[in-house]
Amino acid sequence: MNALFTSIGHNLFLVFGLLACAGAAVMILSTSAVHSVLGFLFSMIMVAACFLCLSAEFLGMAQLLVYAGGIVVLFLFVVMLVELTKYKEKSLFTTQIKWSFPLVLIALGIFAYTMKSNLFDAATPVALSLSSGLAEGLSVSAQNAQMVSRGLFAGFLLPLEILSVILLVALVGALVLAKSERVS
Amino acid sequence: MMPSFVQSLWTALWQDAPLVQAPFFLIGIASLMLWPGDLLIPRDQKRRWSLFTQIILGITLYLVVVTPHRSGFSNMFRIDTMTQAFQLICTVATLATVVLSKKLLDLMNEHTVEFYTLLLFTLSGMLLLCGATDLVTLYFSIELMALPIYVLVGYFRDQERGIEAGVKYFLLGAFSSGIMIYGISLLYGATGGTTTNFEGLSTALVAAMDARGTMVTLGVLMVLVGMAFKVAVVPFHMWTPDVYDGAPTPITAFMASAPKAAAIFAFAKVFGVAFHNIPNVWTFGMEYMAAASMILGNVAALRQQSMKRMLAYSSIAHVGYMMLAILSNDPNLSIRSFSGVQSLWLYIFAYLFMNFGAFAIITFLQGKGEGERIDDFRGLSQRNPWLAFAMMLFLLSLAGIPPLIGFFSKFILFKMALERGFVVLTVIAVLTSAVSAYYYLGVINQMYFRSSTGKDSLKMDRMTGVLVSVCALMVLLGVSASGWLIDIVDKIKL
Repeated sequence: MNALFTSIGHNLFLVFGLLACAGAAVMILSTSAVHSVLGFLFSMIMVAACFLCLSAEFLGMAQLLVYAGGIVVLFLFVVMLVELTKYKEKSLFTTQIKWSFPLVLIALGIFAYTMKSNLFDAATPVALSLSSGLAEGLSVSAQNAQMVSRGLFAGFLLPLEILSVILLVALVGALVLAKSERVS
Repeated sequence: MMPSFVQSLWTALWQDAPLVQAPFFLIGIASLMLWPGDLLIPRDQKRRWSLFTQIILGITLYLVVVTPHRSGFSNMFRIDTMTQAFQLICTVATLATVVLSKKLLDLMNEHTVEFYTLLLFTLSGMLLLCGATDLVTLYFSIELMALPIYVLVGYFRDQERGIEAGVKYFLLGAFSSGIMIYGISLLYGATGGTTTNFEGLSTALVAAMDARGTMVTLGVLMVLVGMAFKVAVVPFHMWTPDVYDGAPTPITAFMASAPKAAAIFAFAKVFGVAFHNIPNVWTFGMEYMAAASMILGNVAALRQQSMKRMLAYSSIAHVGYMMLAILSNDPNLSIRSFSGVQSLWLYIFAYLFMNFGAFAIITFLQGKGEGERIDDFRGLSQRNPWLAFAMMLFLLSLAGIPPLIGFFSKFILFKMALERGFVVLTVIAVLTSAVSAYYYLGVINQMYFRSSTGKDSLKMDRMTGVLVSVCALMVLLGVSASGWLIDIVDKIKL
């Protein structure tokens, strides 16, 4: 029993990752919009947990705040405001399932193979730890938030500025599409 | 004493700021136009923004030309002659769009400051995209370029087709962005999280290919798919006909030229520099996409009844030809050899004039309540001989018939592809452009050999007249300036 717990403890990342996938599956497969959103919420929280396992505390917290806190709540609002009972036809959601299912399985296989053959070394002492060629560049600093801010404001300054403009444009765009009257 | 982190940051920023003067000038002006600019203009005078935007774009042209040549922002952005040449095409296309839009917005009573600011924002995204030398800058610039266009496509909110087109474009665009950023993250991971810089990747990916081959392959292919969505090549073209058809016509003309020029240049840079040393991974996929675009675009255009849908399919075919130029960046020459991109620039330069000329005429006819269908062009030569003649020039040039500029650019492109050994692709390109002559000539047939049924003559307004005349002159006289154009293209180097 103890050995089982230890191995789970070592593979927490894997556990949370699988749970995130399960949440995503619920989101896509359920035909009720509320269940879909709840699946999405679950998936996002699990992704945040994955980030924490990789000791990327800043990303984990940002994931929790932005996705679980902000976006999912927004989704729930939309679901409640839009009267979805009108669109009960199940065929709307299941039209392409025959084709998509094998395609998704193939894609899943490709990605799983890529990850397994490239990211992890069989030789490392702890199972599922990153292979040595990758660990160096991807190693996480002890002072995570500070490193993130250095990256944002020194190395990635230009993308950050562009991103801020993108947010402004999104705001203007939403305004253009939603404003009730235009100039006459 | 060592300068502090903030001091060194400030110095670097001060040094690099001139590189992005044109895009950030646009962003600043556009923000000021929204507030407080919009408060200063009375509600019934919003059309004044059109002239103001044209002046701003004129200043932008100047700023683009005087930008210094170097790289900055920790090698994430770089200005050289090639970048400037593409930035100029994007700016000129935006200017032409503003000129073209005024009449339509007058007619629909839909003048708002947001229309013009969104155009300025998307142009700033294109200018940044042209200069991007890093996958991260590239990705964000593409987003800044695309987001305003989604809104502009659905700008007329009471037209169902426009809204459908906007939503379709937005969903597929977001989807393809997701694929691309996944590919970028795989590449970043495959290089051990060290670089996303084009030059850095070109060496790092060779090493990564040995250790983590499948990961690199998957990443490169996903970036290829994402870029292919953005420039609309077969089999990622499904959105094009619907979106081109549903968007306001000036925006259709815009989408077929400016964002396409920027995205194709970025495409050429990513695959010509970053993935340059691993051609085996992507060459086959790109050859397939080029051939499929040329064949499917031209064949599908044969059956169209709507003018805009026909031009949409023909633009897919033209992107297929442009892919030839991207492929012709010889992998065996040095990394700086960009002759493929030079012919690409020439092709887009020619396409700009033919495309805008044709769409200006369609917009003008739409102002009269026609021009949607190919049948509407029946007997145009009797109603306005100059308009019909200009349209004939544009269509013949799109088909690549000598001595027009379209022939010239196509000839140079095919010649280069042939020299690089793409014989099969070039044969397909020549054959399909013969096919394309059929549907272009069909419109000319309607204009000259059918009589209009009791419609009165058309009088052109001044701005459309100027735009059409300039485009027609360029298309007609382009070849006599061929020596001069070749000289210019020779100067365009990294």
